[in-house]
Amino acid sequence: MHQQLAWYIGGPVIGLCVVALRWLLNERLGATGAWSDVVERASERSVALGTRGWLLIGLIFGGIVFGLFGTSLEGYGWLTENFSGWVVVAVLAVAGALIGFGAKTAGGCTSGNGLSGNAVLSPASLVATGTFFGTAILVSFLTEALV
Amino acid sequence: MRRGAAFAVGAIFGLTLSWSGMTNPDVLRDGLLFRDPYLMLFFASALATAFVGLRVLKILQARAVLTGEPVSWTTVRPERRHIAGSVLFGTGWAVADVCPGPIAAQLGQGVPWALATTAGMVFGIWVYLRRSAAVAPERRPRALGHRPERAPVAAEG
Repeated sequence: MHQQLAWYIGGPVIGLCVVALRWLLNERLGATGAWSDVVERASERSVALGTRGWLLIGLIFGGIVFGLFGTSLEGYGWLTENFSGWVVVAVLAVAGALIGFGAKTAGGCTSGNGLSGNAVLSPASLVATGTFFGTAILVSFLTEALV
Repeated sequence: MRRGAAFAVGAIFGLTLSWSGMTNPDVLRDGLLFRDPYLMLFFASALATAFVGLRVLKILQARAVLTGEPVSWTTVRPERRHIAGSVLFGTGWAVADVCPGPIAAQLGQGVPWALATTAGMVFGIWVYLRRSAAVAPERRPRALGHRPERAPVAAEG
């Protein structure tokens, strides 16, 4: 796991995860929905998680497996190259809030809208994906020019 | 059984995201700045596979293995919120170079920075849930077109 998986293997496996969840449970795969399930149940002081919550636990577990056998991260990309530690923490927290609030408002993130929604040609997902890819490319070029 | 299946799909999803570098901010940044085609090829091949796979399920009129219900889905009409939300999401995605799936995988890997991103994201989701619970009774979606929304919001995830 020390070498990045070829895109033509990694991409299709991700696509098959979307198909598998539909085929096994007739559910839409979305990471934002998985997080939201846990947040909802935590605020209701419920400990029992639904299938979406278990999807999130699986995601974390997949990360644990990679953490054991794969390469670990040095620093945190362009942020730690340009800013000191606590600034990066603050920037990531604000970015995280935009990610959480924005994805919920838009009805999904890169997986829910970008993969699951687009794969069934849902018009809202096509609009959302065009918007977040366009915005992300713009913001990346802007920050690259300014920082 | 259902929860086990969701866990298994999530685990493969999280491991593959990690192995493909989606938890590495440099891979995301290089993709969004068009320095490296990996991100776009990865995303496009994932989408193409999901598209074909779901069509096959539909053509075969498959039933969900663990629930027995016919495999079906709804589509959603675009509204302002899909654009407004995606502008916010896209901004956060470009700055932190992760989205909600890889954030979970980063937590599993023990990336300490992910704690800050997670705290922000959970707060953002919580604020949204509180807000929508408060305005839910008289909530009227502003549609982009003239057709009213047919699909339930609960179908989204």
